[in-house]
Amino acid sequence: MSEDNHEPSRTKVPMPIATLSDPHMGDAARNPQRAEGIIAVILVVAIVFIAGFGAAYWQNWNPWIIGGTLGLGLFLLGFGLTAWGKYLMPQGPFVEERHVLASSPEERDSMAAALVERSTVVVKRRKLLGGLFAIGAGIFGIVALFPLLRSLGPVPGTSLDTSDWRKGRVLVDSSGRSVTRDTLVVGGIMTVYPAGLQNTDQGQAVDQTVLIRVQDSNLVTAKGRETWAPDGYVAYSKVCTHLGCPVGLYEQQLELLVCPCHQSMFNVRNGAIPQFGPAPRPLPQLPLYFDTDGILKAQAGFDQAVGPGFFERTTTQENGT
Amino acid sequence: MSPALPTAKTKKQALGPYGRVSGVVNELDDRLGLAKGGRVFLDKIFPDHWSFMLGEIALYSFVVLIATGIFLALYFVPSANEIIYHGSYAPLRGQRVSEAFNSTVNISFGVRGGLLVRQMHHWAADIFVASIVVHMARIFFTGAFRKPRELNWVIGTLMLILAILEGFIGYSLPDDLISGTGLRIGYSIVESIPFVGSYLGTFLWGGQFPGTGVIIPRFYIIHVLIIPLVLFGLLGAHLGLLVRQKHTQFKGPGRTETNVVGSPMFPTFMAKTTGFLFMVVGATALLGAFAQINPIWQFGSYEASKISYAVQPDWYMGWLDGALRIMPAWEFAGWGHTVPLEVFLPAVIFPGLIFNIAFVWPALERRMTGDNELHNLLDRPRDRPKRTAAGAAMLALLFVLFAASSTDVLANYFRLSLNFVLWSFRILTFVVPVVVAFVTYGICKEMQGVQGIGKRKRAVIVHRSVTGEYTTTPTPPRPGDGPEEMEPEPVPERIDISPLAAPVLTASRESSPTGARQVSR
Amino acid sequence: MSSPRTQKTARTLRTKLLLPGGLLGIAALGTLALVFPGVAQASTTKTQSLSASVKACGSVNLRGVSGVHNTGNPFASTTLTCFDGMVIRYGSSAIIYTNPPRAFVSAGKLLFDQTCSSCHGSDANGVSPSGAASIGPNLQGVGAATVDFWITTGRMPAADVRAVEAERKTPRLTDKQALEVAAYIESLDPAAPAVPTPNLRGADVSDGADLFSLNCAACHTITGAGDALAFGTNAPTLQNKQITPQQVAEAIRTGPANMPRFSGNLTDAQVRDVVAYVTEKIQHPSNPGGAGLGGVGPVAEGFIALLLGVGGLALICFWIGERT
Repeated sequence: MSEDNHEPSRTKVPMPIATLSDPHMGDAARNPQRAEGIIAVILVVAIVFIAGFGAAYWQNWNPWIIGGTLGLGLFLLGFGLTAWGKYLMPQGPFVEERHVLASSPEERDSMAAALVERSTVVVKRRKLLGGLFAIGAGIFGIVALFPLLRSLGPVPGTSLDTSDWRKGRVLVDSSGRSVTRDTLVVGGIMTVYPAGLQNTDQGQAVDQTVLIRVQDSNLVTAKGRETWAPDGYVAYSKVCTHLGCPVGLYEQQLELLVCPCHQSMFNVRNGAIPQFGPAPRPLPQLPLYFDTDGILKAQAGFDQAVGPGFFERTTTQENGT
Repeated sequence: MSPALPTAKTKKQALGPYGRVSGVVNELDDRLGLAKGGRVFLDKIFPDHWSFMLGEIALYSFVVLIATGIFLALYFVPSANEIIYHGSYAPLRGQRVSEAFNSTVNISFGVRGGLLVRQMHHWAADIFVASIVVHMARIFFTGAFRKPRELNWVIGTLMLILAILEGFIGYSLPDDLISGTGLRIGYSIVESIPFVGSYLGTFLWGGQFPGTGVIIPRFYIIHVLIIPLVLFGLLGAHLGLLVRQKHTQFKGPGRTETNVVGSPMFPTFMAKTTGFLFMVVGATALLGAFAQINPIWQFGSYEASKISYAVQPDWYMGWLDGALRIMPAWEFAGWGHTVPLEVFLPAVIFPGLIFNIAFVWPALERRMTGDNELHNLLDRPRDRPKRTAAGAAMLALLFVLFAASSTDVLANYFRLSLNFVLWSFRILTFVVPVVVAFVTYGICKEMQGVQGIGKRKRAVIVHRSVTGEYTTTPTPPRPGDGPEEMEPEPVPERIDISPLAAPVLTASRESSPTGARQVSR
Repeated sequence: MSSPRTQKTARTLRTKLLLPGGLLGIAALGTLALVFPGVAQASTTKTQSLSASVKACGSVNLRGVSGVHNTGNPFASTTLTCFDGMVIRYGSSAIIYTNPPRAFVSAGKLLFDQTCSSCHGSDANGVSPSGAASIGPNLQGVGAATVDFWITTGRMPAADVRAVEAERKTPRLTDKQALEVAAYIESLDPAAPAVPTPNLRGADVSDGADLFSLNCAACHTITGAGDALAFGTNAPTLQNKQITPQQVAEAIRTGPANMPRFSGNLTDAQVRDVVAYVTEKIQHPSNPGGAGLGGVGPVAEGFIALLLGVGGLALICFWIGERT
C-alpha cells in the first residue's frame, strides 16, 4: 500500500519559536547534570591521554605507548562528543518532508522532446556526418586500447614455453655449489638452478628445480625416463602447475611433494603426478646425469613447459635440448 | 547627508541579534548564495537507527586510510631494484632486498611512529572492507536498494570491488615473501584467461613473471592515485545521491513514505557523527598499537624460489583462495590449447558471477516481485523471508569459502587430517548455503507469526491495591528507546534562548516531561 | 508494589550493564584472542622439564653447557666441559659431533630392554620375538643423534602407537638416559651422525634467516609456527622455547619422521646459522608492533579485524543509535 508519491502528505507547519522546555528540545538523559559530569570526566581523561600522546611521541617511547595514548585519547574524545550529542542535545523526534523526486509529466515530456526533436533535426539532415562521427569514435575506442595495453610490456612469444635448462647445464644451489653423488642422502631435498642463474630473477622464478634423493640406486619415474634419475637423484620443476608457487614442502617418508599454497600433492616416485588438490598436471621432470667428474648435470630441458596453464600451452611442447 | 563612520556600537547593532555570525553568513552569502541551502542543510533530518551508522564505519575507515596513507607515501620507495639491507633488524642485514621492502622495514623501525601508522593503515583496510560488507548486508536485508536507490547500490558494489582490489594491491607493495607469493598467484590467474591471458600477464608485469620489476611502481600508482581518485568520485556520488534522495527509515509512529523522522543535522547528528569519527580513528589506533599486523621483517624480501606455509591472503580475498583450494583439478587441454578451468573458474568466473548477481539484484528483484514502486520505508528482514534467505545463503557460501582458505591452519589447530578437512569443505560449500537458506526462511516465517517479536518489551509495574486488585502502569521510556511516544515535529524555525542568554540569579525549576531539570545559567 | 527505587535499580542494571557488558565482552574476547596464541604455546611448554641453557657443570651435557661457572649462557665460552671431565674445544668448528661414551652402553641396553624393545624388537632390529615385523622400525644404523633427538623431545617412547606421527611431549627419560640409549643403539651399528653440539658464537643470523626461508619455511612457516601436512602428518611449531639448539641441529641432520634429511647440501656453518636463527628469532620473535597473534598471519588478523574491529564498532553504533 504505497501512498501516491506525487502528492505530499499533510505538511506540518513548523512551530515558529520553540522554547527550551519543549519536549523535542529536551535532553534524552534522565539526569542531565550527572550526564554532563560523567562526560566531562571522560573528556578530561581524553585530554590527559592526548597530551600523553604528545609526550610519548616527543620522547620516543615504545610504539605501543604512542599508539595506545593516541587511540585511547581519540576514542574517549569521540565518546564524549557522541555522548553529548546523544544525551544532551535535542533528539526530537523531528520530521522533514521528502520533496518529490520525480518531475511532472509535462517536464518529462519536454525533456524527451528536446532530445528526440533536436537530434532528429540534426541527424536526419546530416546523415553522412552522423555516420562518419560514429565510425571515428568507434575506431578510436578500439585503438585507444593499444597504447594502454601493448606499450605496457612484451608479448609472451615463446617465453612461457621454455626455461634455461639445456643439455649439459650444471645444477647449482643458491650459493653456486654444484651437486655430487654424496651431496644428498636418501630423503634429502634441495633447491637448484642452472649454473650462473641462481641469483637472477629469471633463474629463480622459472628455472627453479627441486632435487630429491629418493633411493640410492637408479630411479625410473615413468616409461621413457629410465636414465633420468641416476642414483635416485630426481629433479622436478619447483613451479607448481596450479598457480606457480614454489613446491618446497617435501615429506620424505610419504615421498610426497606438497605445494604450500593450495595443498596440491605430487608423488615423487612416479613422476610428480598430482595425487590430491587442485593441480592439474604433473611437475615437469628434468632429466639428469652425472658427468665423468661426478658433477650432476641436466641431459636436456624439462619434458614440457613449466608452471600453470595458459591458453597457448600444448602438452606436446618440448623445451630446450 | 553623509553617513557617519561606523563605530563599534553601530557595527554591532547593524549585525542584528546574531552578532558576528550574521556577519560571516552575510559575507559568504553575498559571494556564494548559500544561506538558503545552508539552512535547509542544517535542518536535514537523519533517522536514528543504529544500523544506519554502519556505512559511517566504512567512511571513517576510509578517512583513516587516506590520512595514514599520505604519511606512508612520504616514505615508501616504489621500486623493485635490489639493494643490500643495512638497517637495524639483524636477521636481514647483508641480504639483498628490494627498495620497496627496505623502505617498508625502514618505516617500521626507523621512522618514529612509522610502525604505528603502518599498522593503523593495514587494520583500517581490513575494517574498511569488512564494514562495507556489513553495510551492504544491511542495505540488502532491509531492501534499501529498491527504487529509487538502485544506482546507489551499483555504486556501492563498485566501491566494494575497488576496495578489495585496493587492499590486495596495497599489501603487495612491500614486496615481502608472503604478498609476493600472492602476486605470483595473481599473475597465474591473469594468465589463465583464455585467448588474452598470457598477453595480459606479460603486459602488466612487463614480461614473464616476475617481469622487469615494473609491477611495484605500477601498483603503487594504482594504489595511491588511480583507485583513490575513482573511490573519491564514487563516494561523492554515493553521498550526493543519499543527500538528494534522503535516507530511508524503518516503519514506525509518524513515519511515512513521504517524510523522514529523526534528529537534525546540526547540532545533534554532527556531534554524534564527528564523535564517531574520533572513535573509529581511536579504535584503529588502539589496534595499531597493541595488535601486530603484517610483520614483514619476519617474512623477508620476496624471492621467487622461496615460500612459506600457512600463506593466506588478507581476509577479504579469503573467499577466492578457498575457492581455489577446493576446486578439483579440471584442466581442459586439446586442439593445441589449454584452458585451466581449475584456475579460471574459481578465480575469474566465480567472482564475476557473484558480483554480477550483486549488480543486477535490484533489477532481478523488481522482475521477480513485480514491484516498481518507490520505496522510502524499509522492510524488516523477517517481512521478506525469500530475500533474507537468499542473502543469508549467499553470505553463508562466501563464509564457507573464506573458512576454506584456512584448511591447513584449521587442520593443524583441530588436529585433523588436511585431506579430510579439504574434502569436508568441498561438501560444506554446497550443503551449508542450502541449509542456511531453509533455516533462515523458517525463522523469518516464525518471527512473522509472533507479535512484537524482537522488540524490547516495555516493562510494566504491577500495583496491588489494598483491596487486592491488580493494576499495571507502564514504565517510563529509557534513553535509546527514543522519544517514540512523541509526535514528530518539524525543526523549529527559531529557538527562544532568552533563558540562556541573560544571567539569572535563581535557577528555574521548570521541568520537561522527560524529567530533565532545566537549569539556566 | 515495587518502589521507584527498585524500578530505578532494575532500569539501571539493564541499561548500565547491557552496553558496557557488551563492550567489555568484546574487549575480553579480543584480549583473549591477542593473548591466547601466546598462552596456548606457553601451556604446552609448562610441563616440560628440559631447559635449553642452565645445566650445572658436571651434570650430563654434550649440550653446549658453559664450563665456566654456570653463567647460564651456554654460548659464552669456546670450550665445553663434557661428562667425566672430557673437554671439547670448538676451535673454528661450527658444530662438534660426539658419540656418547662407551661406558654408557650397558646402562643403555638395560633401558632399551625396559622401555623400547617392546616396539622395536629385542635387538632394535624391527623384528618382534614372533618373527613378524615389530610396530617400531629397525633402529640399527640410525645413529646416536637420531636416538637422542627422539628421546629428549619426548616423542619416544610413543604414547599412541596408532598415531600418524609421534608428538613432542614431556620426556620419559632424562638427558643422561637418552645418551645411554643412544650409546647402545650406536654400538649395534655405528652410523653417522653423532650427537651434534652447535657453537652459536660467530653464528650469522642473517644467513640463518635466508637459509630458513629457503629450506624450512615451506613446512614450518616463515615464523616457525608449524602447520598441518598431508594425511594427518604435521610440521611442529619451532616457537616452543623448550626446543634446544642441539635438538634443532639433530633434526636438520637426521630428518626425523617426514622431515627431509639435510646432509651434504648444508655445511656445518650453515646448519649452525639456521640453529641460531631458530633459537634467537623464531623462539623470541621481534614483535614491536604489539601482540604477535601466534605468527599465523592473515588468518588471525582477519579474525581480530572482523570481531574486534567491526564488531566493536558496530556495538558502538548500537549504543549511539536507536534500537527500534
